[in-house]
Order: sequence, then C-alpha cells, then structure tokens
Amino acid sequence: MIDAFMTVAYLMVIGVTIGAVAALLQKDLLRAAYISGAESIALAFLFHALLAPDLGLTQAIVGTVLMPGIIILAILKTRRHEESD
Amino acid sequence: MIELTLQTLSFLAAALLVIIGMAGMLYLDNLIKKLIAFTLLSDGVNLALVSLGYVQGGIVPILEPGASLSDFPNEAALIFGPGIVLTNIVIGVSTTAILAALIVILYKRYGTLKASKVLKGEHE
Amino acid sequence: MNETITNLWSIPLLIVIPILTAIVVNLLYNRGRAIRAVSIASAAVLLVISLVSPYGFQWFTGQPGVTYDGTYTFNANVFSWKLSLEYYYGPLQQIMISVMSFLLLFVVAISTKSLKKNFGPYIALMFLTYLSAAAIMMVNDFYHLWIAVEIGSLLVAGLVAASGGGAAQKAALKYTFFSALSGSGLAIALALILGITGYANITDAINSLKINDLSGMYNVLYVSFAFLMLSWIYAGGLAPIHPLKSDVYRSAYPHATVMLQTQSKLTLVAIGLVLLRMFGTLPFAREAMLSISILTMVIGIVMALIQTDFRWILAYLIVSHSGLVTVGISLGTFRGIVGGLFQAVNDVIYMSLLLVCCEMVLYFGRGTSIKFSGGLAKRAPLLTVFVILGTLAASGVPPFNGFQSELILIQAALEQGLPEVAAVILMVSVSTFIALFRAIYSIFLRPGDELQQGSERFKLPGTTLIFLVALVAITLVLGIYPQLALNFLTESALKVVFVPWVP
Repeated sequence: MIDAFMTVAYLMVIGVTIGAVAALLQKDLLRAAYISGAESIALAFLFHALLAPDLGLTQAIVGTVLMPGIIILAILKTRRHEESD
Repeated sequence: MIELTLQTLSFLAAALLVIIGMAGMLYLDNLIKKLIAFTLLSDGVNLALVSLGYVQGGIVPILEPGASLSDFPNEAALIFGPGIVLTNIVIGVSTTAILAALIVILYKRYGTLKASKVLKGEHE
Repeated sequence: MNETITNLWSIPLLIVIPILTAIVVNLLYNRGRAIRAVSIASAAVLLVISLVSPYGFQWFTGQPGVTYDGTYTFNANVFSWKLSLEYYYGPLQQIMISVMSFLLLFVVAISTKSLKKNFGPYIALMFLTYLSAAAIMMVNDFYHLWIAVEIGSLLVAGLVAASGGGAAQKAALKYTFFSALSGSGLAIALALILGITGYANITDAINSLKINDLSGMYNVLYVSFAFLMLSWIYAGGLAPIHPLKSDVYRSAYPHATVMLQTQSKLTLVAIGLVLLRMFGTLPFAREAMLSISILTMVIGIVMALIQTDFRWILAYLIVSHSGLVTVGISLGTFRGIVGGLFQAVNDVIYMSLLLVCCEMVLYFGRGTSIKFSGGLAKRAPLLTVFVILGTLAASGVPPFNGFQSELILIQAALEQGLPEVAAVILMVSVSTFIALFRAIYSIFLRPGDELQQGSERFKLPGTTLIFLVALVAITLVLGIYPQLALNFLTESALKVVFVPWVP
C-alpha cells in the first residue's frame, strides 16, 4: 500500500518535469494552458505525498482551475496560435 | 552518493521547474508563453518550500485526538514552509491576473503577442 | 521616547488604516469630494500616528516569552521552527515613515484636485503603495519582507498602468514580468535561509548563523545572498535593471512618481540594512554591493546627461541618486550608514520638489521636452524660483540638505581608504547640476517663441504652493541643522554596525 503510494509519488515527480517542458514546447497556446493545468494536478499529488495535504487541495483548485482559467481568458481575448514569424 | 529519497527527488524537480520557468520567461518570445512559464516558476518555488518541511516517515502535522503529545514535534512535518507556500499561491494568482490583464490591453493596442514587437522601446 | 516591550498599538494602525482607506475610497464611485475628504483625513491621521508613536515591537505570532523580571527572551521553543513574525518601530522607521506620510498627504491632496475622472482606485493604489513601503521599513522577518516586496512591486505596476498611455502599460508589463522573477528569487532566498538557519526572523537567523558551524554551507549562503540582492537591485532599480525603473518613473504622473520614488528609496534602505546585518561579514558581500552602487551612480548620471526631456532627466537622476543611498549603506561603516540613510531622507524630499515642479510645467500646458519649449520664467516666476532651489538642493550646494549628506558620504569613503568612491560621488553631484540646469535653462529661462505666448501669468494652485514652500523649508532646515535628522539615524546605524542582530 505504502509502496504503491510512493511509486505514484515518484512518477509524479517525473510527470511534473515532463509537463513543464511539454507546456512550453506547444505551438497551440490553449493546449499549453491545459498541459500546465495537468502539471498542476501532478504537483498537487506531490504536495499530498510530501505531508502537506491542505496545500494539495489548494493547489488542485488554484492550479488546475483558476490559473489556466485566467490564461485561457487571456487567450480568448487575444489569439490562439503563436505567430510564426 | 546522495540517496534518492522523495525529498531529494522533489528538490531536483523543483530546481528543474525553476530553471525551466526562468529560461522560459527570459527567452520565449510569446507573452502568453511567458505567463505560463511564470506559473511554472512559482510552482517550482512552491515545491522547494514544501519539500523543505518533509520529514522522512513523518506524519501530517495535524494533532488528532488521542495522539501522543511528546512524539508530535519529532514526527510531524515542519509547517513554516507550507505556510509560506499558501501565500505564494495567492501571490502567484494575483500576479498572473495582473499580467493577463496587461497582456490583453497591450494586444488590443498593438495587435500582436510577440514580446519583441510589443515591448520595443519607443523613446528617441 | 521609551521603548515598550508589549505589542505596540501604532504598528497595526499604520498597516490597517491604508488598507481600510483603500477599500472605502474604492467603494466611493464617482464622488470626488468624498474621496478627497476621506483620503486627506486618513493621510493626516497616518502622519500624526507616525509622529507620536512610541518605539517598540509588534509580534504577530510566536511571541517571545516574558521572564519574571520583566525582560523578554527570544527562546520560546514551540517547535523546531519558530514563528516569530515581528515588526519593529524605531527612530529610523519614525523619520522615514513620517516623511513618507507627509508626502502622501500632499500627493493625495494634489492628485484628487488635478484628476478629472473616477480616481478612487488610483488613490487606493497610492495608499497601498504607502502601506507596502511602511511594511518593508518596519519588518524584522523574511516572510513579511517578501510579502511586502511582492505587494509593492505589483502596486507599482498598477499605479503606472493607471497613468494611461501605451508607454506606461508597456513599462508596467515589463516591470511586472521582472517582479515575478525577482519575487520568486526572494522566495527561494527565504527558503534557503529557512533551510540553513531554521528561522524566518532576521534576529534569530543572524544568531543562528553566529552560533552554528557553517563551514560546509557557504555556497548555499552565497546563493541566498545573490537572490536577496537580486530583489534589492530590482526593488530599488539599481544598475542592471535601471531601464525598467526609469521607464516606470517617467511614465507615471509626476505626483505618482513622488510616491514611487519614496517607496523605492525606503525599500533600498530596508533591504540594504537587512543584507548588511545578515551577510555583512561574508567575504566579498559588501564589495559586490559597493560595485553595484557605483555602477548605478555612473550609469544613471550618464544617461541623465544625454536625455532631452525633463521627465527622463528626473527619472535617471532618481536612479543615480539611489546609487548614492546604497553606496553609503554598502560601505558598512558607521559614518557610511548614517550618510546613506540621511541621503535617503534628503533625496526623497528634494526629488519630490523637482517632480512637483515638473508636474506644474505639464499642468500649465507646456511640454517637458528640452527642444521645443522655453520662456516659462516670465509667465511663472515663482515656479522658476522653486525649481532652481530644488536643483541647488539636489546638486549639493551648501545651505541645502543635499550638501550635508553628500559631505558625510565623502568623508565615509575617504575614511575607508576609497578616494575613488568619493570622486564618483562628487562627479554625481556636479553632473546633477549640469543635467538639471540644461533642462531648466531651456524650459524656463530661454526666451520662448513669441507667437504662442500670451501675456497673462500662470498662477500656482494653492495646495501645490503650500507643498512647495514646505518642501523648500524642510530642505533648508535640514541643511542648516542636519542634527535634527541625524539624531534619528545614529542609533540605527550604531545597531547595524555593532549589534546587527538587534532590529
């Protein structure tokens, strides 16, 4: 039980890093915002594993709803794709 | 050889997030990408602060009824770092909101998201 | 006044009153008179509180235990990390915050008169800027320092963006992006200091550094020093980041710039003293601070000399004179610190004088560009007198206050065996005179084109006239009796040099 939990925690460490890189490599800004939200879920789980469950809850709400929400609003008011030139 | 515990691994992940975020903020040209890089940077700082308080094999620092008071200070995870993280999350949200508002205003004025065009100096 | 041990009533009031005023002023939509009354009353209350407050501590949590004989101890071991979040109000804080309250009072009075549209949120931002600077000045723990710096930089961006115009919004965006970077850096520094010492309280952290063996941890100390210095450079607009800050200074309305420059000078003093107390004994720390200050002075004055607009000249002069403040602090000796702190007080006052004069030039409908203006001296002779007095004060001419602090700084530099630094300080004060007088000659003294000129004289508004007279009076009084200000500063400088762990 404990080992499974820790294994998931180790996976989340990798997931956070990969998510960060993947979010910045997207050309589609909307997809980048979604991926940064997904990275936040991994981070929230990691907070839980690092003995701070209250922060995990906060991060899950703020990082996956509020922050990408603000970014998506900004994208809707501006443009979706990165300019090429 | 440093043992790869959860704490050291998450420190590593935090360092990577900070480096990725800072590099993204400095070198990416798109303003929204810079904004996303900032959220990654603040996530990295949060992760570093939370993993500071981690105690190997410790317990969540909430005093449950019936728990022994004498063991609690030694076993519980430290709470100051996470306390700071809560503030950092709030600051991150407000900074993101201000940045997004300024980006939208400047997009309406200049019609582009490229930082090299929007932030070009105009004096002289 | 006596130091009190118990929690001080004035510190919470200094924090809470600006917040309440900001909320109330925000709610008063479209009622200019009411906003003016509320904001002026609240600024006056802040001035009175800062003047009459006794000295002492305010503990938010983790208060030190009071022992039987009435003294207090910092050894309240609750958990392994103590939570002593602490504010201190002493003589240094008193003079800095009083000067800032005085400026806030008149800035609010002027701006509520001159702005036409809904200015509630704008005044609210002004009060919150005051709050952040006061908090930075009073804190004695890294946690509140970090929060206050973050809030302060967001508010600067807000004030600048509210001043309108594409250039102002650009400046705000750039400033906020960098604030995000340096704020995160400050959080990392906080994390590292917590990790090394175990304390967020600056006093406890310094004691812990003294007691414990840190031989293997010097690299971590240097990293946290570097991040703290990054936020110092950023918040005060020192050398590598001076384009951002000077952009901010000249894009905002000049009366807003009065508050912005006050905030950044106070931040420079506060974080500079923290750096000195915490890392002053670290090898090469003071040298790094000193070189950054000298770079700031030189770059700022050179940039000011080549500008062709009064607002740009003032913006770069403010940056360059920030270097004068930090050079004193980073010398690290008693005389140097006193000179730096005194320079901060003087700088805030005479730069405000010049900025208000600049505001009046704009108010009279004249441009601030050097090339296309002139002949204001005939139309507004009183303003010309004020701006020349401000120039003399800024360039360190004897009867004014700038002379006294620059004299102390030069003496401190010579005492340390650094005549080069003294030469740079002299060069800054001479070049300040040249840069300012170039602008004043072409805007005021040069005969203007006769076609555009009417015959009637421009009249200074009453509030502005009172403000200008008061500022000139302060510069003269501090120039003739510098002891009035130095009495407040010597104790703090002595503490920083000899007992750095005491706030």
